[in-house]
Amino acid sequence: MREKNSTGLQALLFLLFAGLLFLSIPASAQFHPKNTEWPSYAADLAGTRYRALDQINAANFSDLEIAWRIKTDNFGDRPEYKLEGTPLMVNGTLYATAGSRRAVIALDPATGELLWIHGEHEGKRGGAAPRQLSGRGLAYWSDGQEERVLYVTPGFRLICLDAKTGVRIPSFGNNGEVDLKLNDDQDILPDLITGEIGIQSAPVVAKDTVIIGAAFREGMTPRSMRNNKGYVRGFDVRTGKRLWIFHTIPKKGEFGYDTWEKGSAEYTGNTGVWTQITVDEQLGLVYLPVETPTSDFYGGHRPGNNLFGESLVCVDLKTGERKWHFQLVHHPLWDMDISSAPILADITVDGRPIKAVAQPTKQGFLYVFDRVTGKPVWPMPERPVEVGNVPGETYSATQPIPTKPQAYSRNGVFIDDLIDFTPALRDRAKEIASKYHLGPVYTPPTASKLDGTLGTLTMGTASGGTNWPGGSYDPETHNVYVYACNSCIEPIGLVAAPKEVSDIAYIAGTAGREVEILKGPGENAGADSPKPPKKPAGGGFSRMDVDGLMLVKPPYGTITAINLDKGEFVWQIAHGETPDVVRNHPDLKGLNIPRTGQTTYNIGTLVTKTLVIAGEGNVTTTADHPRGAMLRAYDKMTGKEVGAVYMPAPQTGSPMTYMLNGKQYIVVAVSGGPYSGEYIAYTLPSAGE
Amino acid sequence: MAGPLCFPRAQAPAPESRSVWDGVYTEEQAKRGELIYKKECGACHGNLLTGGESAPPLTGGAFLANWNGLTMGDLFDRIRKTMPESAPGRLTRQQDADILAFMLSINRFPAGKTELYKQSEMLKEIRFESAKPSPKK
Repeated sequence: MREKNSTGLQALLFLLFAGLLFLSIPASAQFHPKNTEWPSYAADLAGTRYRALDQINAANFSDLEIAWRIKTDNFGDRPEYKLEGTPLMVNGTLYATAGSRRAVIALDPATGELLWIHGEHEGKRGGAAPRQLSGRGLAYWSDGQEERVLYVTPGFRLICLDAKTGVRIPSFGNNGEVDLKLNDDQDILPDLITGEIGIQSAPVVAKDTVIIGAAFREGMTPRSMRNNKGYVRGFDVRTGKRLWIFHTIPKKGEFGYDTWEKGSAEYTGNTGVWTQITVDEQLGLVYLPVETPTSDFYGGHRPGNNLFGESLVCVDLKTGERKWHFQLVHHPLWDMDISSAPILADITVDGRPIKAVAQPTKQGFLYVFDRVTGKPVWPMPERPVEVGNVPGETYSATQPIPTKPQAYSRNGVFIDDLIDFTPALRDRAKEIASKYHLGPVYTPPTASKLDGTLGTLTMGTASGGTNWPGGSYDPETHNVYVYACNSCIEPIGLVAAPKEVSDIAYIAGTAGREVEILKGPGENAGADSPKPPKKPAGGGFSRMDVDGLMLVKPPYGTITAINLDKGEFVWQIAHGETPDVVRNHPDLKGLNIPRTGQTTYNIGTLVTKTLVIAGEGNVTTTADHPRGAMLRAYDKMTGKEVGAVYMPAPQTGSPMTYMLNGKQYIVVAVSGGPYSGEYIAYTLPSAGE
Repeated sequence: MAGPLCFPRAQAPAPESRSVWDGVYTEEQAKRGELIYKKECGACHGNLLTGGESAPPLTGGAFLANWNGLTMGDLFDRIRKTMPESAPGRLTRQQDADILAFMLSINRFPAGKTELYKQSEMLKEIRFESAKPSPKK
């Protein structure tokens, strides 16, 4: 059943401002945005988040002032506190998704003035969407004459707008929309309104092809081993016609089907590409970072390696046919979705030029491949890993481990990782850790037991390492710059799932806190009702900190510069002010603790001609600034901090930059806690100010 | 001289404001909140509040840092306005207060003898402090 939709928000403002927007565009067959613009989510289709701009530099970064700002509260029926977008700036207009309706807004990039707005009212379909709110952005396309912006609504419809007016392009799909729940080589169940599938990443347009992946709800405690599948599709940007589809879970007869034993490819779902997709237009190749299959932490219902789960897959831009793939994690059990855009880099290793693709990951490995052949640039031998004993689970006995570069963040937890500020704090940390199974990367989840371990302490699973903001790449230095959470500990225990909760044998949980079914008022409460079984006391969950201090040693979050010609670190720094709880902790008075960085998993970086720029993910209050967070700049050659400016809330969307009328701007999304979403544009004071 | 500077003797000292370390919820309330949390919140934020790609953790470093120095009223209002994501405001004030009590218990803030309020204005009088204060001398 099709759902009624309207474009009720759109275009009134357009009438007022249209005159400003009809800028002259040189007529040409192919449109080439300027390298001072930011025409796609990650600056370019190579995923670099790089612009060679230098007006804002080490000498003046701290002088930045706010050029304009826009709150997103009114772009939806309620405020949004998780604004994750990165705007585009192309051909004199800034575009962004914003607000709880995921509206598209066009702004004057010099002043922030609202030029037009487009919103889709999706009713129940929007309300039931697995990935709501404003998403991470949109895509721009032009043939030199026509300009379009495309985005995916929370209800999973691809919308194509006239970039000048914000009005739908009638010739695209069905009056400007393609229903992405249709024509997907599967029936989205249970129905088009509530069927679980959506996406929050920005679409990618390459050579007239729009590429869209898919996302689902969190997979820690799914109700079923069965779910919709996350195929990837290419569409014609002019017509909306589907050009190709890639089955991330192979269909019978396709390559990889036999990696799903006992017919599990038929019913297993998820395995989508929910993060940014990267394209090499010259080679005509698309790089797909694929997530985990259904049930993040238990794979007993999907025996086998489960291709293309947690694989980097290269497909043909024109046909979607697989060119090569590399599975980063066999038979995934750790929710190590490939969570960010692959980064394209032309490098020289031992004198040999290589067109490479580098993949940051949650597990803190930067996997580097020849992007034409899929061959690892440095060896990634299969190494034995621990095999667990959760009933019904099947384990891969080995996993590929990159030999170079070394891991840039913690990806396992050992006693040596626990805090050691004082012996007393360390003892308390050890006591907490003693309830869990510890080990290196790929230590499997355990069944949670009160008389054994409550679970496995992991790092780089659900969070940790690098998540959706990904990294940056500097084509001048051949360095990847990447943020990692070095302290995002995730305890993973498994408990038997009651049949009323899930048909999966084990789901995430902790002994003593088993999943319970809500009972009706008075149910089983009367005389002679059976008494509930007594639960052992003291079970459950231990907070992963000691008096607010992280369980593990600093640095809590890092930015690492990794040279891809050598596969070696250039520098690594702790990113972010030391948290208040550390600076003000009574037990730490008198200790000289270097900057620790912060615990957060969603920090994106921007690299310019001279700087690496990233905001903080935590709020602090210091002698230098009131409650807030800082946007920091580092010398990209050394990692030395060279400046910082105040933000009223943490960075929640990755920064971007552009030049307009001789001025450089940096725009960043901030939000979180009680601070609703806001895009803030910084620039230098005008001469004479 | 002394008259105008004297304070009335009968004036009661201002009550000290409370923080999450002062036992501002009950264990029973947290148990109620756990049931509601698991049904309404756990699928995105995780049964152990550790978060996921689309939902932030409700325990640990970033959570504690970003709410430190604010009030329980701020946190309560945020939940009221935006959660559950699919239908904000669907839960009652009592249910939201119970969920908040569960969150406090998981974060190991101590339980007390009185339930957590369900009015924002009253909750604004309870400070959220991530670190345990030093014992009073």
